[in-house]
Amino acid sequence: MKKLLPFIGTILLANVPLAEPNKAPINSSSALNSPQLVESIPGWHKFGALFVYIQTHWINILFLIVLLAIPTIFFLHYKVIGPKVFSHKGKKFLIFPPWQRVVHWIAAAGFILLVPTGFLIIYAKFFGGGSFIVFARYLHLIGAILFAIAFIPMTLMWFKEMLPQIWDIKWLLMLGGYLSKEKKEIPAAKFNAGQKMWYWIIVFGGFLMLLTGLLLYLRDFNIALLSTFNLNNLFGIDILRISIIVHLLLAVIIVTFFFTHLYMSIFAIKGAIASMIDGYKSEDELKHLHSIFYKKLINKEEKF
Amino acid sequence: MYEYARMKFYCDENRCIECNACTIACAEAHELPVGINRRKVITLNEGIEGKEFSTSIACMHCTDAPCSQVCPVECFYIREDGIVLHDKDKCIGCGYCLYACPFGAPQFPKDGAFGIRGKMDKCTLCAGGPLPTNSIEEFELYGQNRIAEGKVPMCAAVCSTNALIVGDADSVAEIIRARNAAKGKGTSSPYGWDIAYK
Ligand code: SF4
Ligand code: SF4
Repeated sequence: MKKLLPFIGTILLANVPLAEPNKAPINSSSALNSPQLVESIPGWHKFGALFVYIQTHWINILFLIVLLAIPTIFFLHYKVIGPKVFSHKGKKFLIFPPWQRVVHWIAAAGFILLVPTGFLIIYAKFFGGGSFIVFARYLHLIGAILFAIAFIPMTLMWFKEMLPQIWDIKWLLMLGGYLSKEKKEIPAAKFNAGQKMWYWIIVFGGFLMLLTGLLLYLRDFNIALLSTFNLNNLFGIDILRISIIVHLLLAVIIVTFFFTHLYMSIFAIKGAIASMIDGYKSEDELKHLHSIFYKKLINKEEKF
Repeated sequence: MYEYARMKFYCDENRCIECNACTIACAEAHELPVGINRRKVITLNEGIEGKEFSTSIACMHCTDAPCSQVCPVECFYIREDGIVLHDKDKCIGCGYCLYACPFGAPQFPKDGAFGIRGKMDKCTLCAGGPLPTNSIEEFELYGQNRIAEGKVPMCAAVCSTNALIVGDADSVAEIIRARNAAKGKGTSSPYGWDIAYK
């Protein structure tokens, strides 16, 4: 029996896996506590250094330009060229059915939370940092959730009408006629080339913002996901670095277009915002700013 | 000589036996919550003969610390002895320091109902924070201030093989040189040092 004991011991050991010694604080599904963490240290020179460079040299100044220069340009445009005024009397056409307006305003509410809180985070030092900015980060998350809710319906509901059309080139060449006071027929269907640009920036840019934002929020995710996409050479921290770089630089573009959208709907075309509130656009406005769409509408009406 | 002290961490991969004593001692000494790993022991090439080694990793208190460069609230401050500390009252938990750090040192607790990143926590080289030295508040936010008491940081104090060393740059370099010489190896820079220290 005594001779057998070592054998019994081996059998028992073979079947009972020994607990890993003292691994308690380290989570095996973690990307930030894994061997890749050490392996990625020499790779810091790639995306790590790039992020430090962008954050220390560009971010503050880029967003300051967006925050100051864009409104200044619009202010000058308003003073020099002036807004377009259309008669809101006469015939009106239903452009945006109620559900489209609801989707639009959910996304808009998201943006109204996202953009100012984003600026608060970037200029956190100016606002004193601490709990106030942590609160802004909560609002940023809520804004992102609202935008995410509206994202798919908004992409689908306007998809067809937002596809590029041949006259969009003409619109772009004359910048939609916004550089002159003259009231003339501008080539555009339901949406003009400017609106289309904004739409596609929201579709692709918004998707990337949601994706990178989600990755930054999750922070420590399982790298198994990466291997399914053949991204094994990228360690979790590099994904985070790429995400923050994309998130910040894309924000510059999106915020610029967001300000443009605000200016156009509130100031540059008087009363334009009304069409997103009650859904109707006036005949005068359609005839000039969406001339191709208007002609189609009229043709249709005549047929009936 | 004391004027020019510059604190550095060094973990000798030839000696580290992955006992995790430093990790546990650090977590216990500073009463860190679960999920906050100021120091971690990581094994590379596990199971590959001749190539496997372990190392203990935490904030290296870098020269020109990248974390302090990117922080949007500039809440980092670098002591004269090179220890990189930060102010949790100013921190907004944006995570930028983590993206900038070569060593994955900054840690974030989950905060509030939405589980967003809370205020950053990292190795202080056992030097506490900006609050009054050795006060209760300092201990609760940053952990022990052993440096102020003239003690060795907890992790290095418990390292049974003396793999983990901390001290001013010259003394650490002297030890590395002596160890390498004893093994008949030339001078080599420890892993990650070229990135941490300039
Ligand atoms: S190791 Fe990371 S957290 Fe520590 S000083 Fe260097 S960059 Fe900052
Ligand atoms: S998480 Fe805190 S310490 Fe780190 S960069 Fe952001 S504000 Fe600075």
